[in-house]
Amino acid sequence: MKTRAFEKHYYLMLLPGLIWLVLFNMVPMVGIVMAFQDFNPGLGIFGSEWIGLENFEFMFLLGDSKTVLYNTVFIAVLKIAGNLLVPLVFALMLNELRLQVVKRWVQTVVYLPHFLSWVILSGILLDVFALKGPVNQLLSAFGVEPILFFARAELFPYIIVGSDVWKEFGFNTIIYLAALTAINPSLYEAAAMDGARRLQRLWHVTLPGISTTVVLLAVLSLGNVLNAGFDQVFNLYNPLVYSTGDIIDTWVYRAGLVNLQFSLATAMGLLKSVVSFVLIVISYMLASKFANYRIF
Amino acid sequence: MIASSKGLSILLAAVLLTLTACGTGEPTSNSSGNANEKTSETAANADAPAAPADPFGKYESPVTINVGQAIDPTDTSLPAGDTPENNQYTRHIKEQLNVETKIIWQTATGKDYDQKVNLAIASNDLPDLVVVNDAQLRQMVKANQIADLTEVFEQYASPAIKGIIEKTEGRAMKAVTFDGKMMALPNVTARGDAVHTMWIRKDWLDKLGLEVPKTVEDLRAVAKAFVENDPDGNGQKDTIGISGPQAGGKLHANFIASSNNTFGLDPIFSAFLAYPGFWLEGDDGKPQYGSIQPQVKDALATLRDMYAEGLIDQEMSIRKDAAEPVVGGKSGIFFGPFWMGYWPLPDAIKNDPTANWQAYALPLDVNGEYSPHMATPSNTFLAVRKDYEHPEVALKLMNLLVRDEATFDVSVSLNHYPVRIVYAPVDEIEFSVEMLKEVLAGTKTPEELDIPGYKLLASDAMNVKKAKLEPYDKYDIQYWSTEDMGIWSRQYSMFVGGAPLLEPRNEVYSLTYSQTKTMESRWANLEKLENETFLKIIMGAAPIDTFDSFVEEWKKLGGDKITEEVAEAIQE
Repeated sequence: MKTRAFEKHYYLMLLPGLIWLVLFNMVPMVGIVMAFQDFNPGLGIFGSEWIGLENFEFMFLLGDSKTVLYNTVFIAVLKIAGNLLVPLVFALMLNELRLQVVKRWVQTVVYLPHFLSWVILSGILLDVFALKGPVNQLLSAFGVEPILFFARAELFPYIIVGSDVWKEFGFNTIIYLAALTAINPSLYEAAAMDGARRLQRLWHVTLPGISTTVVLLAVLSLGNVLNAGFDQVFNLYNPLVYSTGDIIDTWVYRAGLVNLQFSLATAMGLLKSVVSFVLIVISYMLASKFANYRIF
Repeated sequence: MIASSKGLSILLAAVLLTLTACGTGEPTSNSSGNANEKTSETAANADAPAAPADPFGKYESPVTINVGQAIDPTDTSLPAGDTPENNQYTRHIKEQLNVETKIIWQTATGKDYDQKVNLAIASNDLPDLVVVNDAQLRQMVKANQIADLTEVFEQYASPAIKGIIEKTEGRAMKAVTFDGKMMALPNVTARGDAVHTMWIRKDWLDKLGLEVPKTVEDLRAVAKAFVENDPDGNGQKDTIGISGPQAGGKLHANFIASSNNTFGLDPIFSAFLAYPGFWLEGDDGKPQYGSIQPQVKDALATLRDMYAEGLIDQEMSIRKDAAEPVVGGKSGIFFGPFWMGYWPLPDAIKNDPTANWQAYALPLDVNGEYSPHMATPSNTFLAVRKDYEHPEVALKLMNLLVRDEATFDVSVSLNHYPVRIVYAPVDEIEFSVEMLKEVLAGTKTPEELDIPGYKLLASDAMNVKKAKLEPYDKYDIQYWSTEDMGIWSRQYSMFVGGAPLLEPRNEVYSLTYSQTKTMESRWANLEKLENETFLKIIMGAAPIDTFDSFVEEWKKLGGDKITEEVAEAIQE
């Protein structure tokens, strides 16, 4: 098969994306060599002294690497699960609503937080969960002692996941709602004709109808598993919750930009890239198998 | 399928092309950089003046300085029409020196500025003149990014600046000398910045019939009363005894950042003769790291109890802004240097004109003395980019600032001076307060106080009566006029904030104020370990005995090696 004439436009349309990819995602990869150097900005990447794996040795000696890797995976996996299931359930519930006005209204309201940045939301969250904030006032009505949420390492990951799901579920709901509209209404009519009740229709028509979308989103999000959300964690954490809340990105940021340990930060960043790469390959294979999603 | 694998090969080709392009690109730009360097060196040599240099000399053709500027986002002091690039300071510099200021980037003050400088260092893309801290200076020296200022300092530094630097008995010079070369211009600050004093709501004390707390035990009793006895009289138990640091703030100052630790708990540590973060001389005469000493454990245990009893802000280190409860009239005690009259007290007074914040050289230690830790006189540095053609501009700018600072319109923040490091005589605050008292008593006139070095004293003397009301020997808030907040800020900081500086004190200096070789790579991680552990102990998230395992861990992770290096460094 030859490239047909009309296909050429498509390659042209690919170009800007390709340039972006090369410029911002591939060129910076050269910097990875810093992980194996005692990087000296005056000498640059090509002039700095090579020190082999010393940075990695120190990184593992610190013990931080295990903690942050664990935290990153833990938070990210919970986020993926939450961001998949909550919007799904919510979309199914919305779909059963008869009143279109209410449906629209609810949709709009729940996806508003998606448009606020974490800088703003973190301020709000810190106030909401403060010692004298609304959450503690509510708890005290039930006789619970006030809890200092952001000082409790064991609670921090769940606050992170919970608030992220709260922020994003409205937006993800829309994707599912869109998938739901693609289901042929005659299937529902046929099911109703056969005497299927509401739950049965949900189970036998709606869910199979959107299952490919669910699987596809699930599998794609695997590639993101190590992106536990820099903005969010950075704006909410403090040294008390480093043990459960410090993720690779925040660690790299502190090491590199705050403490001038460029090489160490790169080494940790490289560790993340390696793990991410493996996960992307796995997710691509899964996507190809379950959702018939292929690039080549 | 064939079509798509062709697509893949196109993509690969594109990637390869780009990679080779950038592979060859880098060395080329490097070599051209070297070429520039050589030409500029020869140019500098050709321009080198044979006659003695003039510290205030005006350039014949305009010279441009590229600077990175930290700007306080809440600062509104620039008059309409003026910009950070064009204001009374930059115009003065243009007029006097024929130097034009160009701001190539600007950030908010504080953390943002530090990070931007770190980024500039990492990418080897520095402004011509840059104000940096100790860690950054070391990094830049190591990376060979900055100019040797030894000769220009000799030729161009004004006698005033040379005098101020000499007064530090070599400490300022030592901070910027690497292999015998002077790599940056050190600042010299008044020692008042380092002394952390106890600021307390005296009106609350009076209302509850309490005395100013002298010892840590008294402090606990007062804080308890502040928390439980409703000092603000609103019928609710919503007041904070002692404020603590905000999120990202420090529990205590340390040898690298040894001053101006607002809202830290330094005086409580000092009361236990504990000096975490500082290098002290042990009984054996060898240096010891303050944070791993047993006194620190005692101090932590007490702080832990106080926190558990609710005497210290329960939300310390989580709050985004520690000043907020002070401004909002909810906090009764905090610790900070003398200049709290500039911030946060003006806002606190605006909200509650009766908030009578007073400062004391307290609490006292076990020997009944006040024993604060002291700072290095130099903590910020002005460095010049290596290839910059006019390194002497750095000196000329500072000469001009020190000479003319008192003539500027004080209402415009001095932070708008393009690059500014502080030059103050070490005893500036104490001396000024004593002189101003004489002015109030009528024994000195402003004209007599035009003393070189004490650059603001003469104008202070002219203005002091605009803020200080009679009787002149009483400093409670009702004896002040807040009509001109600018003058009030300065005078309140001097008289109220400066009062503790006149009290006798047992000064504790760190053995060193700069990093050693191993610290450059390991210190950040040790510091993180320390902060995390101390905070957890105080806030009850870890048992007090975690301190012992912290000490072990600290030694193992490089602490012992660093201690040896500090011992060597002091020998020199």
